[in-house]
Amino acid sequence: MPILHIQFSGQATTPQGQLVQVPPAIILLRQGPCVQVSIGLAQSIANQLLQQGKTLPKPISGTALIDTGATSTCIDDAAAQRLRLPVVNVVRVASASHASTEQNVYPIQIEVVGLPISIEAPGAIGAALAPQGLLALIGRDVLQHCTLFYNGITGEITLSV
Amino acid sequence: MLEQERKYFETHRAVWLNQYAGKFVLVKGEQLVGVFNTQQEALAEGARRFGTESFLVRQVDESEHLIYIPALTLGILRADSTHPV
Repeated sequence: MPILHIQFSGQATTPQGQLVQVPPAIILLRQGPCVQVSIGLAQSIANQLLQQGKTLPKPISGTALIDTGATSTCIDDAAAQRLRLPVVNVVRVASASHASTEQNVYPIQIEVVGLPISIEAPGAIGAALAPQGLLALIGRDVLQHCTLFYNGITGEITLSV
Repeated sequence: MLEQERKYFETHRAVWLNQYAGKFVLVKGEQLVGVFNTQQEALAEGARRFGTESFLVRQVDESEHLIYIPALTLGILRADSTHPV
Protein backbone atom coordinates (compact mmCIF):
# COMPACT_ATOMS: atom_id res chain seq x y z
CA MET A 1 0.00 0.00 0.00
CA PRO A 2 1.68 3.27 -1.12
CA ILE A 3 2.16 5.69 1.75
CA LEU A 4 2.83 9.43 1.66
CA HIS A 5 4.17 10.95 4.84
CA ILE A 6 4.56 14.71 5.18
CA GLN A 7 5.98 16.76 8.01
CA PHE A 8 5.14 20.37 7.27
CA SER A 9 7.86 22.99 7.46
CA GLY A 10 8.21 26.68 6.84
CA GLN A 11 9.90 29.91 7.81
CA ALA A 12 8.65 33.28 8.96
CA THR A 13 10.16 36.71 9.52
CA THR A 14 10.04 38.21 13.00
CA PRO A 15 9.12 41.91 13.50
CA GLN A 16 12.88 42.44 13.85
CA GLY A 17 13.42 41.05 10.35
CA GLN A 18 14.95 37.81 11.51
CA LEU A 19 14.16 34.61 9.57
CA VAL A 20 13.04 31.85 11.92
CA GLN A 21 11.87 28.28 11.52
CA VAL A 22 8.17 27.80 12.30
CA PRO A 23 7.21 24.62 14.18
CA PRO A 24 5.54 21.99 11.93
CA ALA A 25 2.42 21.96 14.13
CA ILE A 26 1.91 25.69 13.47
CA ILE A 27 2.37 25.28 9.71
CA LEU A 28 -0.18 22.45 9.65
CA LEU A 29 -2.55 24.56 11.75
CA ARG A 30 -2.27 27.53 9.36
CA GLN A 31 -2.17 25.77 5.98
CA GLY A 32 -4.23 22.68 6.69
CA PRO A 33 -3.37 19.24 5.35
CA CYS A 34 -2.19 20.24 1.88
CA VAL A 35 -0.56 18.00 -0.71
CA GLN A 36 0.90 18.68 -4.13
CA VAL A 37 -1.17 17.18 -6.92
CA SER A 38 -1.26 16.88 -10.67
CA ILE A 39 -4.74 16.84 -12.20
CA GLY A 40 -5.72 15.59 -15.62
CA LEU A 41 -8.59 14.06 -17.51
CA ALA A 42 -10.19 10.94 -15.95
CA GLN A 43 -8.64 7.75 -17.29
CA SER A 44 -11.94 6.38 -18.59
CA ILE A 45 -12.23 9.40 -20.89
CA ALA A 46 -8.52 9.77 -21.66
CA ASN A 47 -8.33 6.19 -22.96
CA GLN A 48 -11.14 6.83 -25.44
CA LEU A 49 -9.59 10.05 -26.70
CA LEU A 50 -6.20 8.37 -27.16
CA GLN A 51 -7.84 5.57 -29.16
CA GLN A 52 -9.28 8.26 -31.44
CA GLY A 53 -5.80 9.73 -31.93
CA LYS A 54 -6.60 12.90 -30.03
CA THR A 55 -4.01 14.63 -27.90
CA LEU A 56 -4.71 14.94 -24.23
CA PRO A 57 -4.40 18.23 -22.38
CA LYS A 58 -1.32 18.43 -20.21
CA PRO A 59 -2.11 17.87 -16.52
CA ILE A 60 -2.06 20.91 -14.25
CA SER A 61 -0.08 20.90 -11.02
CA GLY A 62 -0.90 22.72 -7.81
CA THR A 63 -1.89 22.48 -4.18
CA ALA A 64 -4.84 20.46 -2.92
CA LEU A 65 -6.32 20.74 0.55
CA ILE A 66 -7.59 17.53 2.11
CA ASP A 67 -11.09 18.46 3.31
CA THR A 68 -12.86 15.78 5.33
CA GLY A 69 -15.88 18.09 5.56
CA ALA A 70 -16.48 18.00 1.80
CA THR A 71 -18.77 15.37 0.35
CA SER A 72 -17.10 15.65 -2.99
CA THR A 73 -13.74 16.58 -4.46
CA CYS A 74 -13.54 20.01 -6.10
CA ILE A 75 -11.37 21.40 -8.85
CA ASP A 76 -10.73 25.04 -9.63
CA ASP A 77 -13.20 26.01 -12.35
CA ALA A 78 -10.64 27.97 -14.39
CA ALA A 79 -8.22 25.02 -14.30
CA ALA A 80 -11.00 22.67 -15.45
CA GLN A 81 -11.59 24.94 -18.43
CA ARG A 82 -7.86 25.12 -19.23
CA LEU A 83 -7.83 21.31 -19.21
CA ARG A 84 -10.81 21.37 -21.62
CA LEU A 85 -12.66 18.96 -19.33
CA PRO A 86 -16.18 18.07 -20.46
CA VAL A 87 -19.02 18.95 -18.11
CA VAL A 88 -20.73 15.64 -17.28
CA ASN A 89 -23.25 16.72 -14.67
CA VAL A 90 -24.55 19.69 -12.72
CA VAL A 91 -25.15 19.36 -8.97
CA ARG A 92 -26.62 21.45 -6.20
CA VAL A 93 -24.18 22.51 -3.51
CA ALA A 94 -25.72 23.32 -0.14
CA SER A 95 -25.02 26.67 1.43
CA ALA A 96 -25.75 27.94 4.92
CA SER A 97 -26.02 31.57 3.92
CA HIS A 98 -28.06 31.45 0.71
CA ALA A 99 -29.94 29.12 -1.62
CA SER A 100 -28.05 26.10 -2.91
CA THR A 101 -25.99 26.82 -6.01
CA GLU A 102 -25.59 24.82 -9.20
CA GLN A 103 -22.03 23.79 -10.02
CA ASN A 104 -20.55 21.97 -12.98
CA VAL A 105 -19.11 18.48 -12.52
CA TYR A 106 -15.93 17.32 -14.27
CA PRO A 107 -14.33 13.87 -14.58
CA ILE A 108 -10.77 14.14 -13.31
CA GLN A 109 -7.83 12.06 -12.26
CA ILE A 110 -5.64 13.14 -9.36
CA GLU A 111 -2.04 12.14 -8.95
CA VAL A 112 -0.74 12.97 -5.50
CA VAL A 113 2.93 13.86 -5.79
CA GLY A 114 4.85 11.25 -3.80
CA LEU A 115 2.30 8.50 -4.33
CA PRO A 116 2.89 6.19 -7.29
CA ILE A 117 -0.78 5.83 -8.19
CA SER A 118 -3.57 7.99 -9.52
CA ILE A 119 -7.05 8.33 -8.08
CA GLU A 120 -10.05 8.87 -10.30
CA ALA A 121 -12.66 11.41 -9.22
CA PRO A 122 -15.33 11.12 -11.93
CA GLY A 123 -17.56 13.69 -10.24
CA ALA A 124 -15.29 16.57 -9.24
CA ILE A 125 -17.16 19.82 -8.66
CA GLY A 126 -16.01 23.06 -10.23
CA ALA A 127 -15.43 25.92 -7.79
CA ALA A 128 -13.44 29.13 -7.64
CA LEU A 129 -10.47 27.83 -5.66
CA ALA A 130 -7.59 29.69 -7.31
CA PRO A 131 -8.15 32.88 -5.25
CA GLN A 132 -7.42 30.70 -2.18
CA GLY A 133 -4.20 29.44 -3.76
CA LEU A 134 -5.72 26.01 -4.31
CA LEU A 135 -6.13 23.81 -7.35
CA ALA A 136 -8.36 21.27 -5.62
CA LEU A 137 -10.13 20.15 -2.47
CA ILE A 138 -9.83 16.44 -1.85
CA GLY A 139 -13.20 15.33 -0.49
CA ARG A 140 -14.66 12.18 0.97
CA ASP A 141 -15.36 10.64 -2.47
CA VAL A 142 -11.59 10.25 -2.86
CA LEU A 143 -10.84 9.74 0.84
CA GLN A 144 -13.12 6.71 0.91
CA HIS A 145 -10.26 4.91 -0.84
CA CYS A 146 -7.59 6.21 1.55
CA THR A 147 -6.32 6.04 5.08
CA LEU A 148 -5.49 9.42 6.55
CA PHE A 149 -3.65 10.13 9.80
CA TYR A 150 -3.60 13.74 10.97
CA ASN A 151 -1.11 14.42 13.74
CA GLY A 152 -1.69 17.97 14.82
CA ILE A 153 0.81 17.68 17.67
CA THR A 154 3.80 16.89 15.48
CA GLY A 155 2.55 18.71 12.36
CA GLU A 156 2.46 15.57 10.22
CA ILE A 157 -0.01 13.79 8.00
CA THR A 158 0.14 10.31 6.52
CA LEU A 159 -1.93 9.42 3.49
CA SER A 160 -2.11 5.94 2.04
CA VAL A 161 -4.12 4.66 -0.88
CA MET B 1 -24.97 24.02 -18.51
CA LEU B 2 -26.53 20.76 -19.79
CA GLU B 3 -29.97 22.34 -19.42
CA GLN B 4 -31.56 20.30 -22.18
CA GLU B 5 -30.12 17.05 -20.84
CA ARG B 6 -31.14 17.78 -17.24
CA LYS B 7 -34.67 18.65 -18.28
CA TYR B 8 -34.86 15.43 -20.30
CA PHE B 9 -33.58 13.47 -17.29
CA GLU B 10 -36.16 14.99 -14.93
CA THR B 11 -38.97 14.33 -17.40
CA HIS B 12 -38.02 10.65 -17.59
CA ARG B 13 -36.77 10.05 -14.05
CA ALA B 14 -39.96 8.32 -12.83
CA VAL B 15 -40.07 5.94 -15.78
CA TRP B 16 -36.34 5.21 -15.62
CA LEU B 17 -36.60 4.51 -11.88
CA ASN B 18 -38.76 1.52 -12.70
CA GLN B 19 -36.37 0.24 -15.34
CA TYR B 20 -32.88 1.39 -14.39
CA ALA B 21 -32.83 2.19 -10.66
CA GLY B 22 -29.24 2.59 -9.43
CA LYS B 23 -27.75 2.52 -12.92
CA PHE B 24 -26.04 5.37 -14.76
CA VAL B 25 -27.66 6.94 -17.79
CA LEU B 26 -25.82 8.77 -20.57
CA VAL B 27 -27.89 11.57 -22.08
CA LYS B 28 -27.02 13.91 -24.95
CA GLY B 29 -29.54 16.50 -26.03
CA GLU B 30 -32.93 14.85 -25.82
CA GLN B 31 -31.65 11.34 -26.31
CA LEU B 32 -30.92 8.51 -23.93
CA VAL B 33 -27.68 7.22 -25.39
CA GLY B 34 -27.19 4.30 -23.01
CA VAL B 35 -27.58 2.77 -19.56
CA PHE B 36 -24.53 1.52 -17.65
CA ASN B 37 -23.69 -0.27 -14.42
CA THR B 38 -20.86 2.12 -13.51
CA GLN B 39 -20.14 5.81 -13.89
CA GLN B 40 -16.80 4.99 -15.56
CA GLU B 41 -18.50 2.92 -18.27
CA ALA B 42 -20.93 5.74 -18.98
CA LEU B 43 -18.11 8.32 -19.13
CA ALA B 44 -16.07 6.12 -21.48
CA GLU B 45 -18.99 5.72 -23.87
CA GLY B 46 -19.71 9.45 -23.70
CA ALA B 47 -16.09 10.24 -24.58
CA ARG B 48 -16.10 7.65 -27.38
CA ARG B 49 -19.14 9.26 -28.98
CA PHE B 50 -18.74 12.93 -28.12
CA GLY B 51 -15.05 13.46 -27.35
CA THR B 52 -14.60 16.41 -25.00
CA GLU B 53 -18.07 17.84 -25.69
CA SER B 54 -20.27 17.99 -22.61
CA PHE B 55 -22.78 15.21 -21.97
CA LEU B 56 -24.84 14.15 -18.95
CA VAL B 57 -23.97 11.11 -16.86
CA ARG B 58 -26.27 10.70 -13.88
CA GLN B 59 -27.33 7.90 -11.58
CA VAL B 60 -31.03 7.06 -11.66
CA ASP B 61 -32.05 7.80 -8.07
CA GLU B 62 -35.16 8.71 -6.15
CA SER B 63 -34.01 12.27 -5.65
CA GLU B 64 -31.20 14.67 -6.32
CA HIS B 65 -28.33 14.48 -3.82
CA LEU B 66 -27.28 17.70 -2.15
CA ILE B 67 -23.51 18.18 -1.89
CA TYR B 68 -21.95 19.65 1.26
CA ILE B 69 -18.65 21.54 1.09
CA PRO B 70 -18.90 23.75 4.20
CA ALA B 71 -15.45 25.35 3.99
CA LEU B 72 -16.17 26.47 0.45
CA THR B 73 -19.79 27.53 0.76
CA LEU B 74 -19.23 29.35 4.04
CA GLY B 75 -16.20 31.10 2.56
CA ILE B 76 -13.96 29.95 5.41
CA LEU B 77 -11.31 28.02 3.51
CA ARG B 78 -8.57 30.16 5.01
CA ALA B 79 -10.35 31.44 8.09
CA ASP B 80 -8.07 32.05 11.06
CA SER B 81 -9.83 32.99 14.28
CA THR B 82 -6.50 33.32 16.09
CA HIS B 83 -5.54 36.30 13.94
CA PRO B 84 -8.49 38.70 13.87
CA VAL B 85 -8.29 41.72 11.57
